Parts: sequence; C-alpha cells; structure tokens
Amino acid sequence: MAEDPGVTAELILASAGCAALCYTLGRHNRALTLQRWHFVLNGPERQAIESLRQKMQLDSALARQALDAAGRAREANRVPDALTVLRVALSILEDAGADRLTRLRAMGVYSRMVRAIQPLPPPGAGPFRGPGLRAAASLAGFAHRFLVGTQERFRLWLLFLGLGVRIVLRGGRRLAHEASRQPHLGRPWDLFARGLSDFDALDASHLSAFEALAASLAAVDRGGRLRLWDRIAGDAR
Amino acid sequence: MTEAQLLVADAVKVGLLAVLAGILLRGRLRLCWVFPLYALAILAGNSLVTLWPARFYNASFWMLKQGVYDVLKMALALELAWRALGEFPGAWRTARVVLLALLGLSTAALFLLTPRSSYRTLWEWQPSVATAAVWLLTATALLVVWYQVPIHDFQRAIMLGLAPYLLVFVTLLDLLRRHGWKVRAEVGLADSLAYMGVVLFWTWAAWRRTPA
Repeated sequence: MAEDPGVTAELILASAGCAALCYTLGRHNRALTLQRWHFVLNGPERQAIESLRQKMQLDSALARQALDAAGRAREANRVPDALTVLRVALSILEDAGADRLTRLRAMGVYSRMVRAIQPLPPPGAGPFRGPGLRAAASLAGFAHRFLVGTQERFRLWLLFLGLGVRIVLRGGRRLAHEASRQPHLGRPWDLFARGLSDFDALDASHLSAFEALAASLAAVDRGGRLRLWDRIAGDAR
Repeated sequence: MTEAQLLVADAVKVGLLAVLAGILLRGRLRLCWVFPLYALAILAGNSLVTLWPARFYNASFWMLKQGVYDVLKMALALELAWRALGEFPGAWRTARVVLLALLGLSTAALFLLTPRSSYRTLWEWQPSVATAAVWLLTATALLVVWYQVPIHDFQRAIMLGLAPYLLVFVTLLDLLRRHGWKVRAEVGLADSLAYMGVVLFWTWAAWRRTPA
C-alpha cells in the first residue's frame, strides 16, 4: 500500500497567505482610507486641538458638577437623588471614555501614516492616584525604555491611554454599584472622585499625544502634501 | 485535450479579450502595466495550444509557457507593491526589505530544497513558485492595510483574483502528486474552470465604473 504523502508545506503556506490576503483586502475600504488621508494632508491642526481641549474641559466640568451635586444630596440625606446624580456622572464618564477610545484607535491608524512622530516623554505614575492606573503607567514607562522608534513609543502611549480609560471606567462602574448598595459609606464616593481626577490626568496625556500627532502631520511640507494627494486620490501614477 | 477542456479554454479566451478591452476602454492600463502583458501571455499560450494542438500541446511548450507566466506573476506582484507603496517613503522602505526577504527565501527554497524542474515532476517545483507569488501579493496586501494606503479597486481585484486561483492551482498540483497522471484530464479541467472564474471576476472589475 502506498504511503500517504501528507499535506505539503507549500499548500499550508499558500492557504495561509491567501486567507490573509482575502481577509485584509476584503476589508480594505478605499473611500474611508482616502478620507483619512484627506484629514492627514489637509487637517487644520490648531483648530482640531482647540476643539478637543474644549470638549475635554466640558466633559470634566459636567462630570464634576454631577458628582458635586450627588455629594450635596448625600449630605442632605437625599440618598435616592444622590445615587441618581452619581449615575449621571458615571454616564458622562462612559460617554467621554467611548469618545477617547475611538480617538485613540484613529490616532493609532494615523500614526502609521506619518513618517516621524514628535517624541513624547515616557509614561509615569506621577499624575495618577489609582493604584491600578499607577501600576499600568509604571509598567508602560518601563516598556518605553526598551522601544527605540518614536512611532513604537507613540503607540505604546496610545495603548497605555486606552488601558487607563478602561481601568477608570471599570472602577467607576464598580464604585457606583457599591455606593448604591451602601450609600452611607464614604469610601466609594471618595474613590469615584479620585477616578475623575485620574480621568482628567489621562485627558491631559491624551491631548499631548494628539498635539504630538498633529505636529508630526504638520511637519510634512505643503508642496509634498499636495503632490501626494494628487497621486493617491487621482491615481495619476 | 477533451471537448470540455477545449470549451472552457475558448471561454477563457473570450473572457481575456473582454478583460483587455475593459482595461483599454476604461483607461486602466496605467494602474498596472504588467497585468495586460500577463493577460496577453495567457491568451497567446491558450490560443497556440487550442488552435495548433499537434504542435503546442506538449510538455516542452507547457514548461516554456509556465516559465513565462511565473516570471510575469512575480513581476505583477512587484509592480503592484511599487504602485501601492512607492509614493510613501516610510512604507516603501519596509516593503523593499519584506519583498527582498520573500524573494530571497523563495529563491533559496527553489534552489536548495526543490528538485530540478521537469514536466514529469511539476508538482514538486511548481507549488513553490506559486506559493512565492501568493506571499508577494500577501505582503503587499498586509503593508497596504498596515500603512492605510489607498489602492485602486482594480489593483485590489487583480490581487483578490490571482491569490485564490494560485491556491487552487497548488491544491490541484497536490492532487496530481497524490493520484498521479491518471487524473491529469480532471485536474486540467478543474484548473481551467477555476481560471475561468478568475477571468470573469477580472472582466467585471475591468469594466466596472469606479464610484465617484
């Protein structure tokens, strides 16, 4: 009886390559990619930074106002009102967190499109108060030393910021639940306030990363940008 | 050559003519110069074999035309990579290293691990060539997605058509290796049908109006 020759390495490699190609190119959206490049090559950097700063200030003010109102209601022994307003503060934080995570993903994409990223300082535990966030920041700061390229370091920042937002949101949800179970305990309220201040610190780093990316995009000269745009959008090549 | 093989070969000829007409009339020649050359080579090989089988339906002509197709497939993959990434210096630098490594590895594999090419043992060396072409296309696709490079829909269609066909080709060669020459006619017909499917896809892509 003839021996079964088995599956060849070529067949395995060709299947893997073909699957990777079909998956990646099948998802490739030319219109969306062109839209992103349009932003990269024509993006009004200053306006974008200013509008992001205002949005962050507004989110922070709304969340703080809601938390202060909840604290006042709690001191006046209006526990149901205090819990309702605390949940409002949490929902503001969740909306802001979702917005930050979306922007971080977009920044990750744009960071691959620019040639050089303005360097950022290594992440550190200094500005944060929560132990989980401080540990993540220290770990990111340690990993930062082992990365050489500014793009890799920038992406590490993005990774840390995304993780930080998730840590704060998860903590916020847990604390809101704890406060609703034991409304007279002060600890969950204090920790929620600490989470808000950590979110503000994350926002400050988020803005710095956004500024670094915008500055890197602006570093591509105007003539070069126009030529590149003509090429990629007009298929002149 | 069986009747069915002849019928499919004629359909492929018509399809390739439609692809070439679409490329010319829709102004897609500038998107990839090697692709029309590749289509012309396939058309010429197909026509010679079907119109003068007594002279061209033999092992030595098969080896010659397959060699030409292989060179053109490699050139096609490299041209697509250059057209997609050449305008982006950072991405092109990485692409050059990746493509060179792939070419080096496949050349080394062909010279060191694969037996000398002959028609009688085509399943031993042809899969390596086809796999190298698949991976050149895959590397380009991965770099295009990683660097968010906007490639034209027709260039995308060329890659999305050629890579699955090459996988079918490698699979059919594997069947030939397992079962020997007694399944040659069936394998040949399946290969022609698969190629006809790809040509139909390219015809659609060549004639399709690009959305504004």
